[in-house]
Amino acid sequence: MNRSSRILNSKVAGYSSLITFAVLLIAWIAGFSSRLFAVIRFESIIHEFDPWFNYRATAYMVQHGWYKFLNWFDERAWYPLGRIVGGTVYPGLMITSGSIHYILHVLNIPVHIRDICVFLAPVFSGLTSISTYLLTKELWSPGAGLFAASFIAIVPGYISRSVAGSYDNEGIAIFALQFTYFLWVRSVKTGSVFWSAGAAISYFYMVSAWGGYVFIINLIPLHVFVLLIMGRYSPRLLTSYSTFYILGLLFSMQIPFVGFQPIRTSEHMAAMGVFVLLMAVAVLRHLQSVLSRNEFKKLFIVGGLLAAAIVFVAVVGLTMMGVVAPWSGRFYSLWDTGYAKIHIPIIASVSEHQPTTWFSFFFDLHILVCAFPVGLWYCIKQINDERVFVVLYAISAVYFAGVMVRLMLTLTPVVCMLAGVAFSGLLDVFLQEDASKRTGSVMNSVSETDDLDESLEKKSLYDKAGKLRHRTKHDPTHEGGMSSNLKSIVILAVLMILMMFAVHCTWVTSNAYSSPSIVLAFHNSQDGSRNILDDFREAYYWLSQNTADDARIMSWWDYGYQIAGMANRTTLVDNNTWNNSHIALVGKAMSSTEEKSYSIMTSLDVDYVLVIFGGVIGYSGDDINKFLWMVRIAEGEHPKDIKESDFFTDRGEFRVDAEGAPALLNCLMYKLSYYRFGDLKLDYRGPSGYDRTRNAVIGNKDFDLTYLEEAYTTEHWLVRIYRVKKPYEFNRPSLKIKDRLIPPTNFISRKNLKRRKGLIRNRPTVVKGKRSLK
Amino acid sequence: MWKLLLFTILAINHCNAVLEADANTLVLLDNLAIRETHSIFFKSLQDRGFKLTYKLADDSGLLLSRYGEYLYKNLIIFAPSVEEFGGDISVERLAQFVDDGGNVLVAGSERSGDALREFASECGFELDEDNAAVIDHLHYDVSDAGMHTSILTSAKNLIKAESVVGKHNRQADAAPLLYRGTGIIADKENPLVLQVLTAENSAYSYNPETSVKDYPHAVGRNTLLIAALQARNNARVVFSGSLQFFADETFTMAVQYAQSGVFHKVAGNRAVAESIGQWVFGESGRLRVSAVHHNKVGERDPPEQAYTITDPVVYTIAIEELVQGEWQPFKADDIQLEFVRIDPFVRTFLKQTAGGSYEARFKIPDVYGVYQFKVDYDRVGFTHLYNTTQVSVRPLEHTQYERFIPSAFPYYTSAFSMMIGVFVFSFVFLHFKEEATGKSAGKDDKKTQ
Repeated sequence: MNRSSRILNSKVAGYSSLITFAVLLIAWIAGFSSRLFAVIRFESIIHEFDPWFNYRATAYMVQHGWYKFLNWFDERAWYPLGRIVGGTVYPGLMITSGSIHYILHVLNIPVHIRDICVFLAPVFSGLTSISTYLLTKELWSPGAGLFAASFIAIVPGYISRSVAGSYDNEGIAIFALQFTYFLWVRSVKTGSVFWSAGAAISYFYMVSAWGGYVFIINLIPLHVFVLLIMGRYSPRLLTSYSTFYILGLLFSMQIPFVGFQPIRTSEHMAAMGVFVLLMAVAVLRHLQSVLSRNEFKKLFIVGGLLAAAIVFVAVVGLTMMGVVAPWSGRFYSLWDTGYAKIHIPIIASVSEHQPTTWFSFFFDLHILVCAFPVGLWYCIKQINDERVFVVLYAISAVYFAGVMVRLMLTLTPVVCMLAGVAFSGLLDVFLQEDASKRTGSVMNSVSETDDLDESLEKKSLYDKAGKLRHRTKHDPTHEGGMSSNLKSIVILAVLMILMMFAVHCTWVTSNAYSSPSIVLAFHNSQDGSRNILDDFREAYYWLSQNTADDARIMSWWDYGYQIAGMANRTTLVDNNTWNNSHIALVGKAMSSTEEKSYSIMTSLDVDYVLVIFGGVIGYSGDDINKFLWMVRIAEGEHPKDIKESDFFTDRGEFRVDAEGAPALLNCLMYKLSYYRFGDLKLDYRGPSGYDRTRNAVIGNKDFDLTYLEEAYTTEHWLVRIYRVKKPYEFNRPSLKIKDRLIPPTNFISRKNLKRRKGLIRNRPTVVKGKRSLK
Repeated sequence: MWKLLLFTILAINHCNAVLEADANTLVLLDNLAIRETHSIFFKSLQDRGFKLTYKLADDSGLLLSRYGEYLYKNLIIFAPSVEEFGGDISVERLAQFVDDGGNVLVAGSERSGDALREFASECGFELDEDNAAVIDHLHYDVSDAGMHTSILTSAKNLIKAESVVGKHNRQADAAPLLYRGTGIIADKENPLVLQVLTAENSAYSYNPETSVKDYPHAVGRNTLLIAALQARNNARVVFSGSLQFFADETFTMAVQYAQSGVFHKVAGNRAVAESIGQWVFGESGRLRVSAVHHNKVGERDPPEQAYTITDPVVYTIAIEELVQGEWQPFKADDIQLEFVRIDPFVRTFLKQTAGGSYEARFKIPDVYGVYQFKVDYDRVGFTHLYNTTQVSVRPLEHTQYERFIPSAFPYYTSAFSMMIGVFVFSFVFLHFKEEATGKSAGKDDKKTQ
């Protein structure tokens, strides 16, 4: 190797690292900025439901310190049960933003904790793209890595959970997920304790951040297991897995919310089983090298049978004794999509737990979903230890994403990676010549990353075999006379597709995923102006200003976190749906008649009831539309009092108009939603009491509330708050006219404004000038 | 001079019987003659410190409140035949007055006016039909004119509540009560109505002038003579079917059963009327909670944030009763305390301490949540005492668990022996020399990596 080539090499290396750096930086910036739609359109505000709890918890932690937070008993949630927040929360998110806040304040940069919370997810999206780059680089090539990093920065499937203001666990968990996988793949490749300990630490962060860590602790053992089956056992695998598993196990048990689950629940048993299996295989390998062939055979059969029997008996026995908990409901619903609907209505009632439609695959992933099988095929064709991992990752993530909309999130990174592989492979073929020419006309990162890819390939030692095969496979076709026209057409088409992808991503982000959902915007059809509905905050602000500090507010659980976060009032149930029977009690109160629900409400000390009503503006996510879930959940716990069939018409329809079921037209939720609505005429021609959401004139227009009174209704009637009357307000049960034994006389008052004198019958009159005779 | 002094002393003495704030009383009358015919009753009120303002019921200047403040705390309506009140007062206004905490004493007669009937039904009872009177052919007074409407009802028909009818008025030898008026029918569904005085078994309520055609509305014990209502806000309303019951004439009259001939020198009315007057205007049977305190055993103040599960806790409540215009510690042995989180987790009797306040000591249950100390003391004749104090009960903090538990000693032993073992092994490993082959050295390297 002479000097000039060395200079050239270092020059190329310099360029390539510059390009890598630039691409990752641009990906970060692009990812960050495309997540800012919500902030620019609305304001720097926390979105939706769960983020409000996370924000409240973070603010509490920043104010009171970590230990106070760990021991925080929140008496304002789940009244009167209370909630131990420190022990029922994944604290990673709060710690992350809390420490950012701390560091900034140490540096004398006074940033409000809310702004840190709002911008945390966009910032972490940049870290996600970097770790995706690293992982893809391990699996395939740096070029594919850059592709994947750029994809994941803007792909809607990930943006949906990480726009500014969406301050949720997923925002940082995807980073932790990718980074853990990167470290794991690294450690499998190198067999080094260092990398697998790193993987365990990263796994620890993931456990502290998101319940989805179970995906890791099942996928990695699956990887190991498949490698064992494929006969790819190696001491590297043994070192990395045993280090990772033991450290990860110990680390994960440090999170209070996880506690002893890793050794007690079925979800974690696979990891333990694989660990035992791996040990057994290692022992066998060792014995094989020590013993003679015959001895080994005997030992293998006897020992194998014995071990299998012991493991089987132990698992069955422990499960029977209740030491190992069976699969939780949420996991059953992963295997059997109909399970939740029948057994756990509270899980099925959440829209993000519904099965995914094919449409949303394209909507969230666009062209990547088409390129992804190509990448998968590349990986399978040129399989090695770590590609087994990505294949398993892809297959399991596709399955889970199909089961639940929410798990689209775990699919997105692997789709980005494999699509990156696909595009990189494609351009490998079609840009081979151009690499040397470096025309510069295309001048995109794509072409350059690709030659950087090659230059790095020469240096990469561990991946040499695979890469070389790959090259030799393509070279003949490539040299077999592909015209440069064809190449440029293909390249242009690919670029076109990528451009369309970027446009689509921006469009989806801007239109579908950038609404804070506590502030609604709609476009006026007449003059096209944009109107803002701020009813939620209006109502919560009213609550915080006009109710007693310890007032207890009953609402459906969706709004629990928002009430706690924005109005700072006690709630009965919230989005942490840990106590089904308490939620069922609230559901029962909502679906009973006013009188019956009053006794439930007094037993729960309810002061105010809050309902969401969209009938005036046509907001479809309101409580009447969620009402059937309340009924179902209540029926699950109180099957004698509440029956779902009562709320349907004879023909099985759920309707609020005059033909609706009487149980529905008289239940509390109906009354609270439609109180005084019958008098409201929304437009001149239409009838009064016309519900825009359900397109029907309501069936029960004329009713009064006995036990509650309207306290506040927001501008667009979106939130309605009622005050529950106290028992002493029904001071004296007066006798109704129809119950009276003696019919009242029809006395007509003779008093008026001027004549204020009353009337006394047989009033003795004084006759002047006469003296009584005596 | 000494007369004046004595008068002042007497006046002060009398004024003490009622709280200054509760003294203002409006008296509505049919005609001013009633003021004279019922002077003993009014005098007894005045003697106890009430400031009576007499007005005709149809006075066009009647006013209950001004600028949202009530001018009177109590109202006496001795105007049986009022059809419509004058001035500001109406039946709705009266009902509002009760809902705002005012006390009302009403007396009707056989010919009660419409306004009284409406007000009675607001309170959960009814006056019998026009002209109907309570008739008792077995227990009537000798003075009766032949209609058997001047009935005598024995003192044991009074309600069993000392605070309402006085201590001695219900005794076996107490004089019977003379009554001439209409019957009252109580709403059976209404749990707040008190049957202060009922007629004898043989009584019924009907128009004495006509023959009995249909079944009377009130028969026997169901015929209420005096009914009372203590509303949920502790406002009190007493309804008597007879204005005569409170008259001077009745107070001083000798009574004799016409049938059995049992004679009493004076009817029991006066004492009963005065105790009812004391009760309805809040002189007796009034309880209040003056102080509530709770703390962990051994500490003085309640915890800042919350109790911890299984804390021993002391709850003290001072309950006072109004006696002779002064708040004095209330004595009872049936007051209970509940520690409630939806359901009561602890229910215990409160014991009276030397200081007169009540105390309970118990251990907080091993369940965290938001609890209430609840004292709910509801006895006939007393104000409804309801007091809740909300406290939070939190689980153990992370530092409050036991650090070393005996059952975990095997694990401690194994952990420490492992640590020692590794330490020793590393010594052996580092200082052990062997003519190692290249292969084994390589393996070792790998493991220590």
